Order: sequence, then structure tokens, then C-alpha cells
Amino acid sequence: MKTILIAVSLALLSLVAGAQDKGTGKATYEKTCALCHGAGIAGAPRFGQKAEWAERTKAGSEKLHASALNGTAKGMPAKGGSPSLSDADVKAAVDYMVAAVGGAKAEAKAETKPGAKPESKAASKVALAPAAAGADKGAGKAAYDKTCALCHGPGLAGAPKFGSKADWAPRLKAGTAKLHASALKGTPAGMPAKGGNPALSDGDVKAAVDYMLAAVGTGGQESAAAPPPAPAPAKVAAAAPVAVVPAPASPVAPPVVPLAVPAAAPRSSAAIDPNAFNRLLAAPGKRNAPPAEDGIHDPANTGTHALQPPLTALGGMNPLGAGNRVNWVSSLEAGKIKPRWDRDDPNANAVVMDLNIVREVKGSMPDVVYPHKQHTEWLDCSNCHPQIFIPQKGANQISMASIMLGQKCGVCHGKVAFPVSECRLCHSKKKDNQAPAAALAGTRP
Amino acid sequence: METNLSNRVRAALVALAGLALALALAPAPAHAEYGDVVINNHSDAAGVRPVVFPHWFHRVRFRCKVCHSDLGFKFQAGGNDINMVKIIDGQFCGACHNGNVAWSVENCDLCHSGKPGTPTQVHESTIQKLVGTNAPAAAAPAPAAKR
Repeated sequence: MKTILIAVSLALLSLVAGAQDKGTGKATYEKTCALCHGAGIAGAPRFGQKAEWAERTKAGSEKLHASALNGTAKGMPAKGGSPSLSDADVKAAVDYMVAAVGGAKAEAKAETKPGAKPESKAASKVALAPAAAGADKGAGKAAYDKTCALCHGPGLAGAPKFGSKADWAPRLKAGTAKLHASALKGTPAGMPAKGGNPALSDGDVKAAVDYMLAAVGTGGQESAAAPPPAPAPAKVAAAAPVAVVPAPASPVAPPVVPLAVPAAAPRSSAAIDPNAFNRLLAAPGKRNAPPAEDGIHDPANTGTHALQPPLTALGGMNPLGAGNRVNWVSSLEAGKIKPRWDRDDPNANAVVMDLNIVREVKGSMPDVVYPHKQHTEWLDCSNCHPQIFIPQKGANQISMASIMLGQKCGVCHGKVAFPVSECRLCHSKKKDNQAPAAALAGTRP
Repeated sequence: METNLSNRVRAALVALAGLALALALAPAPAHAEYGDVVINNHSDAAGVRPVVFPHWFHRVRFRCKVCHSDLGFKFQAGGNDINMVKIIDGQFCGACHNGNVAWSVENCDLCHSGKPGTPTQVHESTIQKLVGTNAPAAAAPAPAAKR
């Protein structure tokens, strides 16, 4: 009797532990492992590909754990190249990948015999659960992040801002069905149909609307309408396009309204200086202004005058025609600056990857040469992959419009890295293939 | 009907007055250092100056990876929901600004040094130039250009 009890409780324990591991395993996988194991870079077995994993899972999970922790001669770096991961995280990520190719049984056998059956069940359940239950919320957030956030994030072109109750309150009165219709078909006020992204399904668009509504507190009302299945209010709304009209007590002016930008601010600079966009025309006297004169620091603040003026640091570096007026890449190569790769360790070195990606572009502009080398001097793989750029040839849609609006390359270029005015730093490969792809950022003056 | 019309006229007048006021009060355009981020998620509401984060200053000392990978800063101005509790707890800015790697949190006015009312954004960024919301909202007199 006792032994049975113990066995049952052990099985339950391993079940719980398994589920927790799956969570961290998935997170670790997405942050670190997916870069190679997603696309199968450098011979890595791809996620979910049974054939590629079969050989490896035979060796047992102990062996796989060890390979992941210590690296292998074939190319697997220790801890996937991310030493900040804990051993447990790495193991959980391995288990997550093994579970995806149905290897949960083998893994369980190696560990606890009594837990074998429930664990494999748990694995499949856990694998399915987020896909099903979280689908609509997830899809809504994904569609929002991908498409809607461009305008609804900062409130461009009169779009109601994400999370701003004041912006959304008048629209809520029309009801959710009306909002869904506006999002799908567009409005004369400026909303393009499906947010200008026809690739989205109707369900995605509705889910995104629901996601934005939930952020201004209508989620609570929806779940009040259907109380028992509390975790899936968005799903109810999306599955049946029934009008979920907000309760009569629609959100009144909220106590904490996000800071309204006073009316004087928007577009004033454009109204004053027609050349404001063309930063190449910035007058020499207005470049690298000291903090007290740069227009954003408060000269009345004593601390402002204690700050280092940019020119004292940037003056001796290699120049560039835009941005900080500094070529950061060539200044780093020339050793004019020695920025640390690690917060604490001054001797840590960047893991540099020398691989040029050529993107053929339409029109007459030269093709783009993307140098991994210069980027990996500054950044970690996980900064760009897989969130911003899917690490797979042809999988990324990039346009100058999206870059200028702060997406893809524009996440950095146009904000901190050299701006879009420096066309030829990227568009550097002549179409006729006569010039080698050598005109990289570092070689320019 | 008539009240409707007069309402509309009044609205137009108000709008015109607002526009004139905006033009009159608009300070000279800021020419902040490229990449300077103003973070004003809570500052104005809390009655302190908004934070100015100078990318260039940190870039001389650290690679992007240290903050944007190791410390978990998202690539989005104001998108990290930073507050002083987190900083004192050693998160975000507090990972270095702890008196150990860099100076500590008692130097309030070194970070909280922006003009009140300046909105959260990356200054001199392409999107700022396209949308044009870079002027500090306060009617503080622009520093005299004596260069």
C-alpha cells in the first residue's frame, strides 16, 4: 500500500516538475536554441524533425544533456553559446526539443520508470495546451505586434493608442462588432483595411482588436458576460462574431491616463522647418550640441551641466556624415574605442561571425550586402534572431518603408545605428556583379 | 440644427486658436544627439524631470549586447517599464548604476535631466522626423542660439 502511494506521489511530482521544465525549456529554446535548431544551421538537428533526432535520442537523454552543456566537436557550442543559462535551463530546453519529436518516453524511461506513462501524456498535453487555449490571445498579440502596433502603439495618424482608455472610450460605444468591421474593412478616418496587411486572416484581425480592447479593460467586461471559462474570453469573442457590446458602464475617464502630449507638440517642427527630415542639412553648429543646448535637456537642472558634452568623447573618432557624425564600426576596428562585451569582464571578446548576406533588391539601387561581422562585433545573435529576422534565406520581407517606420533594420538603423540617409553603406553591391561585395561599413571613410 | 452649426463654428474657431497658439509657443526644434532617448513613462506624473538616456555615451563603453541581451532591455523607447524600484533592485539601469560599475541612484538629476513635458521617444530618429513630435511641450524658452 505504502509503496503504491509513494509511486503515485512520485509520478505526480514528476508530472508537475515536467510541466515546469517545459515552460522554461520552451523559453530557453526560443531565446537561444531556436537560432540553429529552428532552421537547422550548422548541422543542428531541426526542431520537430524526427529523422534528424532519431540517431541522437538513441544515445539517451543523459548524453544529450551532456552534449548541450559541454558542446560537441561537430559544432554545438557549450550551452548553445549562451553561458548565462543555468544547467537546468539547458536540460529543460533539450527535453523540450526531444519531446517535440516524441522522445518523451525514452527520456522518462531513463529517469523514472513509474512516471513513464503520465509524463509522456503530460508532454503531449503541455505541447497542445498553449497551442489551443492561448491561440486566440497569442494570435491577437502576434498580429498586433506585427501590424497594428506600428500606428496603434505611438498613436500615429489619429489611431487610438494601445492601452489608452481615453482614446478608446468613444470607439467602444459602437460595440465590438463595429470595431471588428472597421478593422477588417478600414475607415475613412485613416484605418486601412486589415491594418494594411492583407495577409492577415479575418480571425487574426479580430483577435488583434480583442487584444487591444483587453488592454483598455474591456476584457473584464467580456469575461463578465461569460463568467465560467474565464481564461478564454478573447476566444469566445473571436470564434463567434457576435457583438459583445460593452456593458453600459463603459470606461469613464481613467484615473491614470497615459501622459497626453500637449497640443503644441505634434508636427510643430515640421511646420517650422521644411527641411527638418533631411538631417544631412543639419547646420554644423547644431551637431553634437552640449546637453544644456540640445533642446531636450533642461538647462535649469544642475545635473545637466555635469554631463559630458558629446564632442569631448566623439571628437577624436572616425567621422561619418550622419547620425552621431561618428563611424562607430570603423572607430571600433581602429581601436579608438574599446567598449566592453561583458558588463564586468573587460577582457571578454565578441563572438564574431563572418558571413555576408546579399539581398537582391528591385529597381536600380545596388543590392544590399549585410555583413554579420560588423553586427556581431556589437550584438548577440539573439538580439536579432529569431524575433526581428527569421534566420532563413528569403523568409524576411524588408522594405525601406518598414525600415523608416522602425521595423526590421529600422529597429536600430534610424535610431542609434547609422540612419537611412547613408544609402550606400547597405546598398553596396553593383548589380552587374563587377564589383566585389567589399564596400562594407567599416571600409568607408 | 442651428445650435449644431454654431457648435461647429465654435469648434473651428477653437481649433484655429489652438493652431495659432501652437505656432506661437512652439520652441525651436530640438537638435538632440542622435539616439538620445527620452523616457517619460512616469516622470511627469511623478513631478520629476523626464529621463534622458544618451546612447552615444554608453556605446563608447559597452557593446549593444550588454544591455540589449544580457540586461534584457527591449529595443523600444519606453517599452521596458522601468521604475526606481526595479533600478534599486538591480534590474535595468540598476545592473550598473549601483555604485559598483557606474555611479549610483542618488544622483537623481544626472538621469532625470530632461525638459518637463518631453514625450517618450528616440530623438533625431527617422520616425521622429517623419511624424514630427520632437518639441518639448513646455513653453520653456529655447536656449539662445549663440553659436
